[in-house]
Amino acid sequence: MTRSRRKWLSVGLLYATATVALLVAVFPYAYLLLQSLAPWDQVDRRWIPTSLSLRSYLWLLAGGEAALPRPWLRAFLNSFIVSLADTAASLIVGMMAGYALSKLRFRGARAVYNFLLFHMFYPGILLLVPTFLIVKSLGLYNTYWAMILPKAVHLWVIFMYTNFFMRVPQELLDAARADGASEWTILWRIAAPLTGGLTTILGLFVFTERWAELLWDLLAVRDERLMTLNVLLASMQGPYGTFPGPLYAAAALLTLPIVLIFLVFSRRFLDGVSYIFR
Amino acid sequence: MGLRRYHEVRGWLFVAPYLVYVLTFFLFPMIWSLLLAWTDWNLISPVKEWAGLDNFREALRSPHVHAAFVNTYRLMAVFVPVALVWSLGLALLLDRLPRGSNLYSVGYFLPYLASGVAIALVTKGIVAYNSPINAFLRERLDLDVAWLQHPTLALVIIALLIAWKFSGYFGLILLAGLRGIPRELYDAAELDGATGWQKLRFITIPMLYPAVTSVLILAVALCFGVFTEPYILTKGGPGMATHTWHLEIYNQAFTSFRAGYASAVAILSALATFGTIGVVRWILQKWGNRYDPI
Repeated sequence: MTRSRRKWLSVGLLYATATVALLVAVFPYAYLLLQSLAPWDQVDRRWIPTSLSLRSYLWLLAGGEAALPRPWLRAFLNSFIVSLADTAASLIVGMMAGYALSKLRFRGARAVYNFLLFHMFYPGILLLVPTFLIVKSLGLYNTYWAMILPKAVHLWVIFMYTNFFMRVPQELLDAARADGASEWTILWRIAAPLTGGLTTILGLFVFTERWAELLWDLLAVRDERLMTLNVLLASMQGPYGTFPGPLYAAAALLTLPIVLIFLVFSRRFLDGVSYIFR
Repeated sequence: MGLRRYHEVRGWLFVAPYLVYVLTFFLFPMIWSLLLAWTDWNLISPVKEWAGLDNFREALRSPHVHAAFVNTYRLMAVFVPVALVWSLGLALLLDRLPRGSNLYSVGYFLPYLASGVAIALVTKGIVAYNSPINAFLRERLDLDVAWLQHPTLALVIIALLIAWKFSGYFGLILLAGLRGIPRELYDAAELDGATGWQKLRFITIPMLYPAVTSVLILAVALCFGVFTEPYILTKGGPGMATHTWHLEIYNQAFTSFRAGYASAVAILSALATFGTIGVVRWILQKWGNRYDPI
């Protein structure tokens, strides 16, 4: 009797602690959402607004009565284009390189792989200034390409795919080779579909990381119509200081899509995470 | 013979996109940055004067660089222990929950998805002059706290924001480590009458050592790359209390247009990073030997 009671108590305590930790994790998201929906005289003055209003969102999207109209929707789209392009590019380049490094025995494969490891541990900050200069001298400054190209390859993705393909049994591929399929076909028809869970999780990580990038996008473009939502929001803190409501609405637009994408894929994410962190 | 050649070329073709990227966005800028550091180029003028060691000498004397150097370790002193304890707690919780641990894992991971800009905005709001917290402190306790204008408080707030962001991510790494510990070890310990604390101390922690090592090194390395949070919240202030390496490099290169000097600072920051990680690894190795991993 007391024994089972104690067990119940400890399980209850476990869930209570876990729930408190969960609240800490979601608190800023909840705050963001509530403030973006609060009447303007209550923004940042109450934890939970007494009534809800869409004024901040409408103001944001319409450009507002008082302030300069800002291309928020455009910025949202820019974030999406840039993040999607870099995610797709990283996955494709990563799969090709990973497949070659693990399954196509060519002279120099080992050297390329070792170089990749060196590249991974080279501090990226050292490259910031010269990368900016290269982008500028290629005539790409203030274009989408300036944001996309320098981040179109993700070294960790190549590394993960190399190690994944390493464990794909050779016989699986040999059967297709015997049928006369080219390596290109084998990669996309046989090897790539095997990576399902891994590709989902790598895609999620790359997309999230790219979506939240500030430093590089701050430098790469000057034109407001090209800015990502993150950069626009960062640069808007001054003039919009008197309109905190719309800022929260913009921050909600910045945050919610990524959370939604993540929740949709959360099942596969959990499977994948136990693979990549093992 | 022809076929062999073809096989060789094919491999290189598959890695070609990566290699093109390496040439344009790694090797070339790498060499350029190493050269720039010895010039006093200002990003615009066509003349690049050779400056010898001047940039490094100036950087080593600069109060901004000193602040960035010191602040990295102040940040680390708060961020690393908080993030480690918090993520370890999350991992242990997740490992023990009888049901629903997937739901909680997803929830704990959510902070990692947040954009630093959005979360900095929330932080600004929470500590704004008229915010509920400040109103409460003022009216009930007669306390006027200027959170982000206080040198230590501002730094602690930034450290906690980063800890909040990474705790779930680290937690999942540690959880993967926990799940890799063979159950038999615990069963054997239980037969020997080990208490919960003893199992944690003598099985869980030593067996978790590799996962803890990677979390610690990741956490230490992160401190050298802090940019978004201080950029939005404090611009490195008050004074230079939250100035960081990346802020300094960004300011020098793109506000003062001193590309050469910024490259020299970047090289110093890389040296500090590798030096620190080297020391941390050495300490972890010594510590690891004590546990004599099974």
